[in-house]
Amino acid sequence: MKLFYSLVFLCFSTIALKGQIKVDSVQTLETVVLSDVKLQQNNYGFKTTTLKDSVLQNDSKSFTDILRFNSNVYFKENGYGMVSSPSFRGTNASQTAVIWNGISINSQLNGQTDFNLINVNNFDNVVIKNGGGSVQYGSGAIGGSIHLNNKLNFSSHFDNHLRLNYGSFNTQKASFNTNYGSSKFAVNFGFQYVTSDNDYMYLGTNEVNENGAFNNLNFNVNLGYFISENNILKLYHQAFLGERELSGTLNTISRNKYLDENFRTLLEWANIGNHYTSKVKVAHLQELFKFYQNKVLDSYSYGKVNTYLIKHILDYNLSKKIALKSILDYNYFEADGSSFGSPNRSAFSATAIATYKPDTKSTIAFNIRQDVTSDFKSPLLFSLDGSYQFSKFYKIMINASKNFRVPTFNDLFWQPGGNLNLKPETSYQVDLGHQLQYKWVTLDLNTYYIKNENLIQWKPSNSGFWSPINIDQTHSYGAELGLKLNKTFGSHTITLNGNYSYTISEDLETNKQLIYVPKHKANVSIAYNVKRLSFYYQHMFNDMVFTTEDNIISPLYSLPKYDLGNIGISYQLIQNKNHNLRLGLDINNLYDTPYQNVIFRPMPNRNYNIQLHYKF
Amino acid sequence: MKKLLYSVLGLSLLFSCSNDDDGTMPQEPLGDYENGFIISAEGGPSSVSYISNDFSTSENDIYFNVNGETLGVYLQSIGFNGDKAYIIQDSGTITVVNRYTFELITTITTGLTTPRYIGFNGSNAYVSDWADPFTTTDDYIAVVDLNSYTVTSTIPVSEGPEQVLANNDKVFVSHKGGYGANNEVSVITTSNSTVATISVNDVPDEMVLDSQGNLLVLSEGGQSWQATGETLASITRINTNDNSVISTIEFATGNHPSLMSYSNGMAYYILNNEVYGLADTATNLPSSSLFSVEAGYAYGMFVKDGNLFLTDASFSAQSTLKVYDISSGTLSESFSVGVGASKIYFN
Repeated sequence: MKLFYSLVFLCFSTIALKGQIKVDSVQTLETVVLSDVKLQQNNYGFKTTTLKDSVLQNDSKSFTDILRFNSNVYFKENGYGMVSSPSFRGTNASQTAVIWNGISINSQLNGQTDFNLINVNNFDNVVIKNGGGSVQYGSGAIGGSIHLNNKLNFSSHFDNHLRLNYGSFNTQKASFNTNYGSSKFAVNFGFQYVTSDNDYMYLGTNEVNENGAFNNLNFNVNLGYFISENNILKLYHQAFLGERELSGTLNTISRNKYLDENFRTLLEWANIGNHYTSKVKVAHLQELFKFYQNKVLDSYSYGKVNTYLIKHILDYNLSKKIALKSILDYNYFEADGSSFGSPNRSAFSATAIATYKPDTKSTIAFNIRQDVTSDFKSPLLFSLDGSYQFSKFYKIMINASKNFRVPTFNDLFWQPGGNLNLKPETSYQVDLGHQLQYKWVTLDLNTYYIKNENLIQWKPSNSGFWSPINIDQTHSYGAELGLKLNKTFGSHTITLNGNYSYTISEDLETNKQLIYVPKHKANVSIAYNVKRLSFYYQHMFNDMVFTTEDNIISPLYSLPKYDLGNIGISYQLIQNKNHNLRLGLDINNLYDTPYQNVIFRPMPNRNYNIQLHYKF
Repeated sequence: MKKLLYSVLGLSLLFSCSNDDDGTMPQEPLGDYENGFIISAEGGPSSVSYISNDFSTSENDIYFNVNGETLGVYLQSIGFNGDKAYIIQDSGTITVVNRYTFELITTITTGLTTPRYIGFNGSNAYVSDWADPFTTTDDYIAVVDLNSYTVTSTIPVSEGPEQVLANNDKVFVSHKGGYGANNEVSVITTSNSTVATISVNDVPDEMVLDSQGNLLVLSEGGQSWQATGETLASITRINTNDNSVISTIEFATGNHPSLMSYSNGMAYYILNNEVYGLADTATNLPSSSLFSVEAGYAYGMFVKDGNLFLTDASFSAQSTLKVYDISSGTLSESFSVGVGASKIYFN
């Protein structure tokens, strides 16, 4: 581990001294119709990382854990399985956009996405984009965005996956997926059920995680149909029904319970011409939570938002060197809840993007966006990005953008305290990236600077209640390093993936590090495969974090740094053309490390998980 | 102040010396936290701070320092009785400690749901409890046997019982109203656990006894976002013998004071960072303030011996305890105390 850190620091310091940065990846361009093409085509100057099947389909890990061990994303998790919110680059969870098949699914109530309400088995790939993306992805894309994509495969195939899982704390998981495709029609269907007593030990105490049980049911169906050679219809649908108790904290019992019912439906019509692609998207999203103070009683408080949206996207290739794009987006939100009545909002945005490729080595894109919203004034947003390929091995990427985060329904309408005079948070940033690629090694280094203004903070007032105001200014800067190795020797394959981030994020008034922002975070995973046998080890280091704004180091006001390791082995019992049966065993928290991601909310002790995956 | 302390110390030395003849141990200090005041902080994390009477020493997180464990997240209030302190946590726990050493004695969890405040009468304590805060009809006063540390019975009361003041054979409970709003003071006769109610203005919270033994109740008044709509705050003076209302002095529309403390013939309250004094004899609110305080969020107040103690609460960093000299209105001392510091108690 020490060696890894030194390596990381060495790389960082040498390259930083030369005054440069950046990391990951240009995606291979997908066929227009098959996925969120906007992401791959319009982010030349940004770091994007794609997590593929092999990473996502690790059956014993939560989505939170997959991302914690495989990316720069940092999570605040209120105990295992409880509310889990992601953040990037020293920003917070409401400054992190989560995009489902091109549409933002951050809660309209609190501006965040809870990753324990998303089942990872449902996605074909997950793309992590570091840095601001409000021009394309709207509110909240400040620190970065996480893209959850379903792909429709229009080739002749029919395969099924059955997964069964059993692990510590009586954790049981079953899922079934079917994929069918022909040249005209594609469908995939998925169904998952997870249940866990989640009663892990609080290491170093006599307590267990009481009142932490959860279960959820997830249903997913995606359809695609070529109406004609140039017209395609796609339907994406996802339903999530979850019930979870809410763990207490050390020395505080809890009787709380949460129910969540989230539905997402998206219908898309794409028309493809010689020089253009036109897409119309119509979607309905529902988020609903019910909070029970006492789980045995019937009384609860609730919040519900229905989002209706229509979006038009036009891609037009003016010439071989110039591409233009426009996005028109109209959203109508209606909310209903115990604490904010039944308000509604509407928002319209117009975006224009021009991409210029003067030669095969360089790309420059300019994006501009204006929102018109019913409750507040939104700033004009822009983004400028570009990349230049110096040689076969070395590429440089650069971007500068202005991004925003709009006030949520809670911020605007909560009774008491909701503030209708709020402005959106605004953020400016620059980001410089380098990518070195040599045979089976890829090295990425990014450095960035972000300045945030008018941050919305809830503060107590002398009228006896809390109210949000646009008050804080913060900045963050740092570096991200990514390393990928992939090497095959005969029947042996070794892959290594490492990420390191150095993050300073400060309140500009006090110059104190923001709470829950680790200065250093690193992870590495090594996988080895020979014939039917696979083995992996993954490790992460999380630096100490402050939990109050005054940066006091104490067991009450900060969390210590920690190292975590996971290990796993799997074997293909059956491996032939029509049948694949894999048996896997994972040991999570191998070293039995006591750790917390949110203060007083311990995470699990060492635990085991056994999986059967049958593909036919 | 210091002189007084020294003379008390001197006296106690004399006293302990004279006791030596009996073969009993000399009077030991009762604990590190004997001669000072305690500030409870809601958190998170919940914590307790100590400041000595002479302001020479202060210590934060004393419960954690002594017991090596935290108090959890939702400390509501502390009650003191005999040599014990009872730390009330909203999550349904009372932590009993020695009030002078803060060493943990026991915890009470059974029979409590959302406890708020505690009052004492003989070998019983009376704990206000919201039960399920979303249910308006399940609120109660838990009667705790102080010998066995168990909840022995419950007395149903109306919505949102808050502060508890025990006086002789009666226990007064202000019904602030929990998540809603209420306008009652419950009076429990301890001998037979019967409950009488007194109507006051909306949202009654702080209660004190004046020099004549009358009960003063500060009602905060309803605010526009509450079910009550905007209603007037008031200070109601109640005869504790027959529960009759002696007088109700109302505040102007839109004024919602929430802090009141009593010392030496004067009830002190704070409104928009101005400190006012209402004399026992007054029939109207004072027209001008005594002095003003500087606070981002004045969250707790206590008046003693010519000093006004105020917590300026922060919920994301350490709070500040400020001491004002009432006669001059000047800030004399300032201490860093726990996150969400709320109540001040003299030990």
